[in-house]
Amino acid sequence: MSTEAGSGLRDDELPGLLRGSLDHCVKCTICETACPVSNVTPLFPGPKYCGPQAERYRVADEPSVEWSVDYCSGCGICTQVCPQGVKIAEINAQARNKIKREHGVALRDRIITRPTVLGRLGTPVAPVANLSLRLRPARILAEKLLGVHREAPAPRFAGRRFSRWAKRHTSPRTGRKVVYFHGCGTEYYEPWEGEKVVALLEHNGFEVEVPKQDCCGLPLQSSGLFDDARRTVLRLARALAPFVRDDDTIIVGNATSCTLMLKREAREILGLADDPALKRVSERTWDICELLLDLHDRGELRTDFRPVNETIAYHAPCQQQGHFIGKPALDLLALIPGLEVREMTARCCGVAGTYGLKAEKYEIAMKAGDALFTQIRASGAPSVACDSETCRWQITHATGRPSVHPIDYLHRAYGL
Amino acid sequence: MRRELHFDAVVIGAGTAGLTAGARLAEAGARVAVLTKGVGSTHLAPGTVDVLGYAPERVSEPGRALEDLVRSRVDHPYALVGRGCVVEALQWFGERVAAGPFPGYRYVGGLERNHLLPTAIGALRPSALIPETMAAGDCAAGGASAARVCVVGVRALRDFHPALCAANLERAGVDARSVELNLALDRADQNALGVARRFDDPGWRAWFCAELSPHLRGEERVGLPAMLGSTDPHGVWSDLGRRLGRPVFEIPTLPPSVPGMRLFEVLRSSLRAAGGRLILGAEVVGAERSGERVSSVQAHAAGEERRYLARWVVLATGGFASGAIELDSRWVTRERVLGLPVRGAPGADEPRFVSTYLDEQPLARAGVAVTGDLRAEGVENVLVAGAALPGAAAWREGSGEGIALATGFRAAEVVSEAEGARAGQPGRSEAVV
Amino acid sequence: MVTLTTDVLVIGGGATGAGVAWDAALRGLEVVLVDRSDLAEGTSGRFHGLVHSGGRYAVKDPPAAEECVVENRVLRRIAADNIEDTGGFFVTTPWDDAGYADRFADACRATGIDCEEISPAQALREEPRLNPRVSRVFRVPDANIDVWKTVWSLARGARERGAHVMPYHAAVAVHRDGDEVTGARVRDMRTGEETDVRARVTVNAAGAWAGQIAELAGIEGVRILPGRGIMIAMNHRLVNTVINRCQMPTDGDILVPIRTVSVIGTTDEHTDDPDDHTVLQSEVDAMLDDGEKLVPGFRQARALRVWTGVRPLFEDAKAAETLTRDITRSHALLDHAQRDGVGGFLTITGGKLTTFRLMAEHTVDAACAQLGEPRACTTASEPLPGSETQRSYRLGERLERKEAHLREEQLICECEMVTRGALEEAIRRSRTANLDDIRRLLRLGMGPCQGGFCMYRAAGILHGLDGLGAEEANTALLEFLQERWKGIWPILYGDQLRQVRLDDWIFQGVLDVAHLSA
Repeated sequence: MSTEAGSGLRDDELPGLLRGSLDHCVKCTICETACPVSNVTPLFPGPKYCGPQAERYRVADEPSVEWSVDYCSGCGICTQVCPQGVKIAEINAQARNKIKREHGVALRDRIITRPTVLGRLGTPVAPVANLSLRLRPARILAEKLLGVHREAPAPRFAGRRFSRWAKRHTSPRTGRKVVYFHGCGTEYYEPWEGEKVVALLEHNGFEVEVPKQDCCGLPLQSSGLFDDARRTVLRLARALAPFVRDDDTIIVGNATSCTLMLKREAREILGLADDPALKRVSERTWDICELLLDLHDRGELRTDFRPVNETIAYHAPCQQQGHFIGKPALDLLALIPGLEVREMTARCCGVAGTYGLKAEKYEIAMKAGDALFTQIRASGAPSVACDSETCRWQITHATGRPSVHPIDYLHRAYGL
Repeated sequence: MRRELHFDAVVIGAGTAGLTAGARLAEAGARVAVLTKGVGSTHLAPGTVDVLGYAPERVSEPGRALEDLVRSRVDHPYALVGRGCVVEALQWFGERVAAGPFPGYRYVGGLERNHLLPTAIGALRPSALIPETMAAGDCAAGGASAARVCVVGVRALRDFHPALCAANLERAGVDARSVELNLALDRADQNALGVARRFDDPGWRAWFCAELSPHLRGEERVGLPAMLGSTDPHGVWSDLGRRLGRPVFEIPTLPPSVPGMRLFEVLRSSLRAAGGRLILGAEVVGAERSGERVSSVQAHAAGEERRYLARWVVLATGGFASGAIELDSRWVTRERVLGLPVRGAPGADEPRFVSTYLDEQPLARAGVAVTGDLRAEGVENVLVAGAALPGAAAWREGSGEGIALATGFRAAEVVSEAEGARAGQPGRSEAVV
Repeated sequence: MVTLTTDVLVIGGGATGAGVAWDAALRGLEVVLVDRSDLAEGTSGRFHGLVHSGGRYAVKDPPAAEECVVENRVLRRIAADNIEDTGGFFVTTPWDDAGYADRFADACRATGIDCEEISPAQALREEPRLNPRVSRVFRVPDANIDVWKTVWSLARGARERGAHVMPYHAAVAVHRDGDEVTGARVRDMRTGEETDVRARVTVNAAGAWAGQIAELAGIEGVRILPGRGIMIAMNHRLVNTVINRCQMPTDGDILVPIRTVSVIGTTDEHTDDPDDHTVLQSEVDAMLDDGEKLVPGFRQARALRVWTGVRPLFEDAKAAETLTRDITRSHALLDHAQRDGVGGFLTITGGKLTTFRLMAEHTVDAACAQLGEPRACTTASEPLPGSETQRSYRLGERLERKEAHLREEQLICECEMVTRGALEEAIRRSRTANLDDIRRLLRLGMGPCQGGFCMYRAAGILHGLDGLGAEEANTALLEFLQERWKGIWPILYGDQLRQVRLDDWIFQGVLDVAHLSA
């Protein structure tokens, strides 16, 4: 059993409360109705089965006897819809982690779960890297050698890093500071999203600080690499915490799954509830749409929006729903004159971070997202707004429709 | 910055009562947030609107029986809202279904008479307002049809046993027989929703009908477990009727309930269409009181709790089933969300339960103590709706959805009336824009 | 009336009676085993499932402890498939006499119990939910046993060697021929048919009911003092090691992880009626408080079910009338030829489940002596059917099996992972329509939802399979619901109350079983 220096936690000492929550399960099947994975493949027997049900048969020091729980994508919808408070996704995550501890982790999972490393390698050689990510022989090779599916949506390296732009950029001094957590997607793949976030915040009177920062560890966590995930998220928390100087300063992020990692998952799934730096960061972190809608509700959001005469489909990704804040993007987008927003009710695009990249899971992920893709196609909307970058890549890959973060529309409507 | 949100009304709970109250309030122009811990009762209930099934004998005319009940049981939720409110609420609900996300889907019936619908074990359950997809199963005298019922199951669906259903229908005097198809599905453990998703596919429907047709005889009507489509129930049901050339109906079975999920979707989209917000995962964990008012509630969210400040709170959290009302290991009954007083719970020395399972349990009618207009006792701005109310034994009476709908509807009206009076505009909220 | 002739008639199909049948059959004797109800439906099936290390008796009753030491080892050998090697702790909590621990350690050494003191920190690492305020911890070789499975194995083994095993056959008369007992008349409790069993030796293994059987034989004074104890099953394993309080034996001092649950026990109240299954709220409260001492937060954990078992304590001159725990746990074997001058009749009672095999051995030894045919006992080395591999049971077995047949096997009882195949086979093999009997065979309906989801399914399968009419299927369902309710309502609070309300929702709402046509 490995000991994690940073956290002082051992993997087999994770909080009993997660396990204890299985007592609340009344077998009602509501989680089964919402699970995107078990609905499309018999390989995953479902959240109720793998979670509260199978957990009664698991003994900490006996070897795992089942593999099917590894087909859980970790989207977390089961926990969100459970009316009884069972931590289903979290119980499943523990069981997956136990399997990884016992049987080791595939090389592939060690690579694709490290966006920072990939980003640093790919950025300077972006044209070549992007080309090879689109060349079929290279993809076939990657599938054969690494188990990354040849069709899986691959982002393009932007060839520049957001943090470089941020270093050169000076936010006008307003005294109302906000700390911007941009995440790896913005850093390496979509730096323009970060620039838009900064512009939006500045337009609304914020002075934006961009600390030096790194990955949140979510990909590691969702692939069951808990030790590495703990190290990574604590490093990030320590980088961000000093910037939260007072109770008025908040951290805001546009990568909704990464902000969720900071807010909740690191504390609940990785058992880091008591780390003071993480706790501080966790409590002070806001999703960008959460913040903007909150400003609007207080009458503090500028509403000098110009019309955007378009129809878009909006999909709230699973991780965004995990914030338990509703769908603030919908209400924000509704402020833009001329913009017609169609709310997608299908819950998941299937990709769940890195799940849909894996060769053995790609097809499942595509099927899991099919209900959403069908709705998007049927909506008549030529483009899609969605808060999470991996979900956007998946949606565009599957539907051929461009997809952007909801703040893109706000940015446009402000005419920034 | 603190996480504080301001609303005219916060509704706690997203079952039938909460969604109805939320949608109605939003329609009246109020800024509404429906906070819910998870998805609730709708997905577990049959999807029918049972107004009054037993009083305690089987009720055939619910409207009339309702009048008697309102007179004789002054503590009953129906007595608090009155028969007229039930009529209005059913009317409102029917309109929302028609305008809802399922083209052509509608509910039939009303307070004039109860339908008698076969249950999955073959009992006949009285219900007032039912999805059109169940109507042909009505076995009440003067009901849909006197034709023989052919109960059809799929062996892979462990939650429906057609032979037992048909045999019990026979015992109840309904001419019935059964067919069980042995269709290959890709998994052993399949529920009604899984099959419903297959029925969404026209190709699968055609194949299913081709498999079934040779087994059907004469003028039979065909009863299937409630699994006719998850996205277009009217289309699927009509298509099956056409292909099989005879009336087809759904029989509700074990959870998850496909018709119940449709009901949820109808109410959810009504809420959204009127601009209300639905916040999933927002379990309410505390509240602030100032004098006789609840000024805000705290709800769980990732990272940090959020405070929802509201002029009105509608408590539609359900009863013992949801855990909103709890009996703890020291035998204390309490309302867990706002700590409101509970009425109707047996005293410390009285039995809470009796030893015969099917007898009425003394604890069953406990609920949050309210005044005549659904206000929680001692709190001016908290209204209580649905299964959290005392005085009803919903499943014994066959009254659950009727109470939820009527009290949710009424709670919204009470708010609108009070806000209207405050603003000098009867019946309208000041927040109307 | 049908007449059966046999060497040995055993009355009482608990662990002892089934053990006697198995032992006698192994020795080549003809055996008939009868029980008024289903096998292991009485005391045997109503205990916590602990295979004692002997620690509980080390200080107070060293001979009993020594018996446990030996039998614990034997059972692990012969009934491996039914036994899970959980190990056990004896822990000194703040409520226990601190001086007892040293006496306990000494007594363990003296009686040969394999006992090792470990640090409380080590114990907490192994059992994180254990009360962190424990001051001393001793590790002992406790284990748990699936007693139903064990009794079925004994019966199956006996049957394979020619025995007639007749559940639901009550002895209605014991035949006397002068000073000889010559067998009994038994009545099929389901059909009313009677059978005459002629036996050379009749063994009264009726446990807490042994006095009633002795009376049928015209023998006075076999007084059993039934001691009623309650046990509570908690929804999951709060611990994976048996936890005992390190103190003189008292109420609520054992927490046993067994199958998917943990069972806390027990109380000890004198009762006059062995069929008394009263559960008092005061007993439940006391048991929950005791649980809290072992595992903080016990009251917030989910209690599934409560039941009572009645210990068959044979009256002893030393025993006070009301305080049954002081009566010896060691068993009593009465040879009525010596005691009453009545031949062909033996009564075996008292004892504890851990030593059932030894009790059976002594009993069959005495029977052989009466028959004048000394035959050697082999039960200490012969594995029970199903335990031949000597691989001990692991909790994950059903999960592992389901995983291997994920797409083929339909789960009927999801909580306890009972497959449709297993259910159908059990119905066919046991030829019963009684779902409560099936429950004990398979653990059907014993998990968190207590039959809420599986009972409709089971009734449907029963109806389809057995050619039963709807009426019988309905009855099976309704009787099961009522039977379950008996063990639920006295301890209904918290999470289980939510479950019951959902179950009501299903049965009284969706299915409306209360209004099935009569």
